[in-house]
Amino acid sequence: MGDKLNLQRQSFLGAGSEIVLGRSRAALVGLGGGGSHIAQQLAHIGLGNFLVIDSDFIDDTNLNRLVGATMEDVRLGTAKIDIAERVIKAVNPAAETIKRRANWTEVTAELRDVDVIFACVDSIGCRSELEGFARRFLIPLIDIGMDVHESSGEFSISGQVMLSMPGKPCMRCMGLVTDEALAKEAARYGAAGGKPQVVWPNGTLASIAVGLFMKLVTPWETHKVTPLLLEYDGDLQTVAPSNKLAYLPAYCKHFDSLNELGDPFWTPDALAVVE
Amino acid sequence: MRTILKLTATLYDDLVQRLREPHDFAGERVAFLKCRPALSATSLLLLAGGVHHVENEDYVNDPTAGATVGRSGLRKVLQAAYMEAVSIVHVHLHEHRGRPRFSKTDLRENALFVPDFWNVQPSLPHGAVVFSFDSAVGQCWIPGSPSPSGVEVAIVGSPMRCTWKVTNG
Ligand SMILES: [Zn+2]
Repeated sequence: MGDKLNLQRQSFLGAGSEIVLGRSRAALVGLGGGGSHIAQQLAHIGLGNFLVIDSDFIDDTNLNRLVGATMEDVRLGTAKIDIAERVIKAVNPAAETIKRRANWTEVTAELRDVDVIFACVDSIGCRSELEGFARRFLIPLIDIGMDVHESSGEFSISGQVMLSMPGKPCMRCMGLVTDEALAKEAARYGAAGGKPQVVWPNGTLASIAVGLFMKLVTPWETHKVTPLLLEYDGDLQTVAPSNKLAYLPAYCKHFDSLNELGDPFWTPDALAVVE
Repeated sequence: MRTILKLTATLYDDLVQRLREPHDFAGERVAFLKCRPALSATSLLLLAGGVHHVENEDYVNDPTAGATVGRSGLRKVLQAAYMEAVSIVHVHLHEHRGRPRFSKTDLRENALFVPDFWNVQPSLPHGAVVFSFDSAVGQCWIPGSPSPSGVEVAIVGSPMRCTWKVTNG
């Protein structure tokens, strides 16, 4: 007993898995419907180090899907990062949680230190910028997204989980980010009303995302190649590797230059500050 | 402050394959990683984006050393460092499992030639890393610091492999 998380039932992950998980560090960008699910699961599996980033406070429209949030939080207007930290610490008090109530672009020094970034953000522009950052510092990025479409009076739920691995196909390679989609999004900017979001598709996508993370950090088998893009059909309730995978290039041509790596404004003077 | 060399699994696999190719007389091969540096909240990151391989004819036949790169070979690396504005990390492979160690000769040679890269890229860190099949150790010379610091290595792929998370030493 005591305050230490007992991970006996997941010992099949390997003899050193508890230590590896304890030393691993993940960033969660966005602590809404998707990110809050991921935070909870990562706490349960024994991740040792969290960086949680979100500039938002909870409001009453979030309670239908934000894991760990309470009616009292809505009344108080609690920051989403504080709810995430509370959930993490309640499961695993030993976990280190760095929380930043900010846009991720204001937290780049800390973000460079993580092993994996979870992108749980709404817009195509934002996930594309975050991927550019992750590639620059050779950090795998796991992106989740869900959508509800309306056509002739009926609704359809879909979504996807993508592993953006440095050197491998990126969101542009996979057609998740296109100039057309970015332009369309920019034109819509500021339009009233949020996109529809519900708890159960987020839970499915978050679980797949955590599964991808576990295969990176403490794989339980090494023979099956994990698909880089998984598609969720919320109407049929299925998740399957994307058909696009068959047509992808082996390597990404969008981020293949030395100039896309590291500090664009490197100066050794900055070293003195770190030491 | 920690120093971490990061490279993709794709680049690493290609590197190891090339380092293991037999040579007519050189006992081992070496290569040079072309990196760009960055600072994080806690670490100096060396982000590898390419490999400068040593051509067969640029090894010199010296029975006292495993691999010796001749003057023309070194000149080519220095030129690459200058032209592409990169940090250079010298790499070679010890073909065993477990934590590798630099030999005395390695340490002496590192101290001689690594700071030479400051002649062409004075503001960048440069280093040397020796890999085993499942681990690595390294040294990095950081501008303004007279003695080298240790280097940890992270191979970014599926699975992720990091020297500081290896639990069997
Ligand atoms: Zn691409």
